[in-house]
Amino acid sequence: MNETSDNNPLRELRKLQPRFSGMESGHRACLGCGEALAARLVTEAAGPDVIYANATGCLEVFTTAWPESAWRVAWMHSLFENAAAIAAGMEAALKRQGKATRVIAMGGDGGTFDIGFQALSGMLERGHNVLYVCFDNEAYMNTGIQRSGSTPHAAATTTSPAGKLRMGKRHLKKDIVTIVAAHHIPYAATASVAYPSDIRKKVRRALAIDGPTFLHIHSPCPLGWGHDGSLSIEVARLAVQTGLFPVIELERGGLAGVMPIRELRPVTDYLAIQQRFRHLFADNARAREELEHLQALADHNIEFYQLRGTHPDTRDTEGADTVTRGGMRWA
Amino acid sequence: MGMRLTPGAFAHPGSSLRYHTGSWRMQRPVHRHRAAPCHTACPSGEDAQAWLALVEQERFREAWECIVRANPLPAITGRVCHHPCEHACNRGRFDQPVAIHHVERWLGDRAIQEGWDYPAAAAAPAGTPVAVVGSGPSGCSAAWHLAQQGYPVHLYEALPVAGGLLRSALPPYRLPRTLLESELERLLSTPIDFRPAQRLGRDYSLAELQADYAAVYLAPGTQRSRAWDIDGATPHDLHIGLDLLKRWVDVGSIPEWSSVAIVGGGNTAIDLARVIRHAGVKEVHVITHQSLPHAGIRQEDAMPAIVREIEQALEEGVIIHEHRGVQRLVLRGERVVGLELVHRKKMREQQATRRLVSFEGTESLLYADQVIPAIGQTVDPKGLEALLDHASHLAADAVGRVTGHPGIYTGGDARGDRGSVTEAIGDGRVAALAIARDLQRLKDSDTTEPVPVAYDELNLNYFERQARPATPRLPVDQRTAEAEVTGSLQRAEVVGEGQRCLSCGNCMTCDNCWTLCPDVAVLKTRDPEDENSGYVFDYDYCKGCGLCAHECPTAYIVMEDET
Repeated sequence: MNETSDNNPLRELRKLQPRFSGMESGHRACLGCGEALAARLVTEAAGPDVIYANATGCLEVFTTAWPESAWRVAWMHSLFENAAAIAAGMEAALKRQGKATRVIAMGGDGGTFDIGFQALSGMLERGHNVLYVCFDNEAYMNTGIQRSGSTPHAAATTTSPAGKLRMGKRHLKKDIVTIVAAHHIPYAATASVAYPSDIRKKVRRALAIDGPTFLHIHSPCPLGWGHDGSLSIEVARLAVQTGLFPVIELERGGLAGVMPIRELRPVTDYLAIQQRFRHLFADNARAREELEHLQALADHNIEFYQLRGTHPDTRDTEGADTVTRGGMRWA
Repeated sequence: MGMRLTPGAFAHPGSSLRYHTGSWRMQRPVHRHRAAPCHTACPSGEDAQAWLALVEQERFREAWECIVRANPLPAITGRVCHHPCEHACNRGRFDQPVAIHHVERWLGDRAIQEGWDYPAAAAAPAGTPVAVVGSGPSGCSAAWHLAQQGYPVHLYEALPVAGGLLRSALPPYRLPRTLLESELERLLSTPIDFRPAQRLGRDYSLAELQADYAAVYLAPGTQRSRAWDIDGATPHDLHIGLDLLKRWVDVGSIPEWSSVAIVGGGNTAIDLARVIRHAGVKEVHVITHQSLPHAGIRQEDAMPAIVREIEQALEEGVIIHEHRGVQRLVLRGERVVGLELVHRKKMREQQATRRLVSFEGTESLLYADQVIPAIGQTVDPKGLEALLDHASHLAADAVGRVTGHPGIYTGGDARGDRGSVTEAIGDGRVAALAIARDLQRLKDSDTTEPVPVAYDELNLNYFERQARPATPRLPVDQRTAEAEVTGSLQRAEVVGEGQRCLSCGNCMTCDNCWTLCPDVAVLKTRDPEDENSGYVFDYDYCKGCGLCAHECPTAYIVMEDET
């Protein structure tokens, strides 16, 4: 631990940043962590008057190396399975006290898709005024890259290894956002860490709604997915541009909006830069079939959600991240 | 802050800011300003990226001042340049290159309309004066750059007026005379001592210049036409391309011919062909062994004339015979009635040598009652005999020091390895800087060419495709000798081109690094001098993941190994 005295002149500059940041430097996330970025973007959009309930997982572990905390907001760690229940309780208490403070529950894909699913379902069903944010890095990364209900088909993890018998995970990725939306909640959406403006817009939208809302953010894990930390945004962007991760909004269970794909990319562009899909590029029939399978899954998403853009749009995959001199973006 | 355990294993939480994750770092991101391809490609040394950024912010005067620090004549080059900047522009591989040439022209015109003055010189004139011979683009540029650095300059011109080839060889439909006068007048109203009607070898000698001045810059251009004949046959009324062009520009009358053949593929040949065509000659042929420029043609195989001018000549009905040579003049007495053409091409031989090959059996007859060679010029040796030693051009090093003659410098067409106004202006600037260094006995700075930012280094996900505005062109039936053919862009289009610029190798303060750093290790700063960007890296926390460098749209952030 590097405990030099703080005489760095940037300390003052850090306090003057023109944004609210609920998460500070010094957290122990890996290099290029997509989840660390996604969580900071959520806190930025949500503002200071929020209490967070955080399920066990990477996010909880790397932000709170005892006795330090990277959080600059009211934050509470729950167990793996009950972030939604804790958030529901906090929301009920705040309501009783007549306070307007908002509650956000946060969990990884393991804590959301699998372990915490029944608490989440209960929270949604009881109609608590909570935004639940799922940071999806598609496996139990914190404990050593074990497969989860969110791990995509054919991805290799330590518990779904690629080898003679299997080409990575046999099963499909659970369609959590549709399951959540089936609770007839007012707003459920997906987003990608590659599109920060879209995340901000969706967090604000969800917090403006009275009732349970859900945001599912695709957040690459360099260690678990096997790509360089510098490529986290690139990988996340390709997941959207290939159609493998559809960016959609559902209101009361009905499709209310998608991020259209302007320039469609083949799934191999996304898969080839990740070690977890390396076995799909072997020169054999099984690998070729699985590649085709993943392309078919992407094609299905594109068809099912009508992801192909018909005309250039500022909110499609090319327009949503356009930058201009001076940093003005559309959200 | 002290850490204290209490019975419930409760601890007052400290901030993670105490933990410096910067110690994990193997590589560090740094801001590095790198040259944009337009900058390294510009023969005049203009940094188009820098002034396009100012144009985008509608800081037009600052943009213009940025140009004139390298090139004092932007309204002229914005018209006559062959714009290698646009060929190099990275945006050309994304959709279409930024219309740099037309933005330069617009800024140059605006400066004339608004009467903008040059930025003040670095110092008032003092010390020994420097002589500049010839007031064409190269001489004007050298004189201006020397004056900017505080040297008294005496600018000699053989003719009564300044401008050199700009005045004598560029037809008004390419360069309107009012603009030429405005730019030259502004340049000569600086402390440059202009001495017109002083001809080298008649009114003064090189030896006198060497005695009177600390340094001499020779920009005489090429005033003598190459000798031309076909197997000893020369038509009795031979006209030489550049001479004819000069005469036409001065007097404005072309003999009444019914068909003319011009030999050569350079700018003189094309300009002359168009001038003659504008004058009403029905058939104007251009004969060149080179190729018409189009995709897939190597630059050294294409006609050296500016592509835009070739296109306009073809629009106007000039007939260009590519890959042809003149094998024989068909004479009746000493009068030309036609030419025997043959398919002729430069063929690559071993290594770099190339040879002109005529293909037997491809001969054909072209009727023409006038043939005009436009095959290049050489330096008029009068007054320069000691330097030339029977060579056609002056030999000099990269910055213009004439070989074997300390204190004498040259640039522009007189060098023989140049062919454009822009290169001549660049020579003037580079030589002026070399003169200043030599007079102050300083060493040459590192002259290795900077490697420009390559297309693949940019992150183009952050840009959207957008078409370049079309440049207005005068309809063919309205073209005359005087009316300018190429029109100007509108103000909104000019600003739009600033926005289309990809800002290669320079920060455009887009906030990407600040937004995307997972470790909050990029901080925004209000001090614009900080790293020439709006951001600083906090190396106490930067883990060196490289995400900011990868997502920097303009390749301004690069990763360096930690030592």
